[in-house]
Amino acid sequence: MKRRAVAPLVGIVLFFAAWEGFVRAFHVRKFVLRAPSGALSYLWRFRGDYLDAAWVTVQHSMIGLLLALAIAIVVGSVLASNRFVERATQPILVLVQVVPWLAYVSTVVLWLDSGDASALFMVTLVCLPAFVFATVDGMRNVESATLELMSSVDASRREVLYRVRLPSAAPTLFTTARFSVGLALAIAYYVEGVNLSNEGIGAIGRKAAADFNGVDRLWASVFSVAVIGISALLLLSILERTMLHWHAAQRTEPR
Amino acid sequence: MSHVTIHGLSKAFGDLEVLDDISLDIAAGSFVSFIGPSGCGKTTLVRVVAGLERASSGSVEVDGTAPEIARSRKRVALVPQQPGLLPWRTVRSNAHLLLDVNRAANPSDAANSNELLREVGLGDFMEAYPHELSGGMQQRVALVRALALHAPLLVMDEPFAALDEITRAEMRVLLNQLVEGRGVTVLFVTHNIAEAVALSDRVLVCSPRPARIVADVAIDLRRPRSRDIEDDPRFVELCAEVRHSLFGAMRP
Repeated sequence: MKRRAVAPLVGIVLFFAAWEGFVRAFHVRKFVLRAPSGALSYLWRFRGDYLDAAWVTVQHSMIGLLLALAIAIVVGSVLASNRFVERATQPILVLVQVVPWLAYVSTVVLWLDSGDASALFMVTLVCLPAFVFATVDGMRNVESATLELMSSVDASRREVLYRVRLPSAAPTLFTTARFSVGLALAIAYYVEGVNLSNEGIGAIGRKAAADFNGVDRLWASVFSVAVIGISALLLLSILERTMLHWHAAQRTEPR
Repeated sequence: MSHVTIHGLSKAFGDLEVLDDISLDIAAGSFVSFIGPSGCGKTTLVRVVAGLERASSGSVEVDGTAPEIARSRKRVALVPQQPGLLPWRTVRSNAHLLLDVNRAANPSDAANSNELLREVGLGDFMEAYPHELSGGMQQRVALVRALALHAPLLVMDEPFAALDEITRAEMRVLLNQLVEGRGVTVLFVTHNIAEAVALSDRVLVCSPRPARIVADVAIDLRRPRSRDIEDDPRFVELCAEVRHSLFGAMRP
């Protein structure tokens, strides 16, 4: 148990030490690659600003993710019970999934103005399809014996939905959430940079990237986003362990 | 008094005829097994009685009503081939599942599922999850789940088919204990001759598809039946009789 908690820390420390050592040993020029110590000390010095900005980014990415999940559960429930609607909706969802969001993000910013709305909208929209597909798959992936049993006592569709289908979809939804955290953060970061609101880690990063002397500032924002992402993943895995302790994937111990 | 009455029942899925003009009277409180070759339509037959499938022609009455009505009143308890337990529910909660849905139709005298769990030897596993149980234990939970409904008709579709031979023999003994004295009518689908004879008051032998009833064997073994019923010479005779009609029906 202790070893399991220590191992990732050892990995991270070694990685940063190697990076730091590489930059120092080969005298890598500042604008090519900075040693992490520079960015970390910058981050520490302006921790208040970064904390405020990080809180904005956390809200954009996580609220967006939760909205996508909530909408997907509603939409997915409808699609899982109606093949026609599912087939009609699928092309739209696939379009949203495959069209690079970077290509149309500026249009969305124009529509929704600067501020939270554009960031939330983009995160929700782009994360939605994967959640919808996961919901539909999970809900359909119910043992036929269970469905037969429910119908043998004339259970209503609603009862089947929330007593059987939704819990069955939970494992795939968790997996999708884990994969979507990075995407949500990338979108939040990017939209914060382009939506002219001066809020969020993305805004700091954008300005730093345009500034020749902003390398430490830029890497400090990269580290901030990394910390948000790792925290979100940790939180998700704790939630998954408590909510899905019954699920097979949770029972396999790594050897 | 007859509990299930089937008259001239036929069922086809498209061009595939599955049941051919079946007529039956099943007495209340009797244990009736359907035995026949794989795919002969015996599962379809009990599904029609359980109200899960509609007859193409003919009539079926359960409790003097249509099977769909009996089903909506929760008068039929199903034990499927796979236990179909919900992995996120504990044993206690799985055993209570059929009482948790469509509550409006719950009987006023629903059995105490915890009591039943203790009766089948799962008293120490109430808070366990299905994945912590063996196949036999899971099927016992499925049995309790059905009995807890206190329905007068129990429909069991090859419930022990997935179990090993030893567990299966144990389940026969347990099932006899559970249904004797409870007064439930049981329709039991199986491929296993010894299982059918050990459990039933009556074994109905089905022909290959489309299913017809080719033999109706009365099982006159004493009740209550214990483990050693299978050593009884009469048991062996009855098994032979069922086997002969079964293989006789399968010859072209």
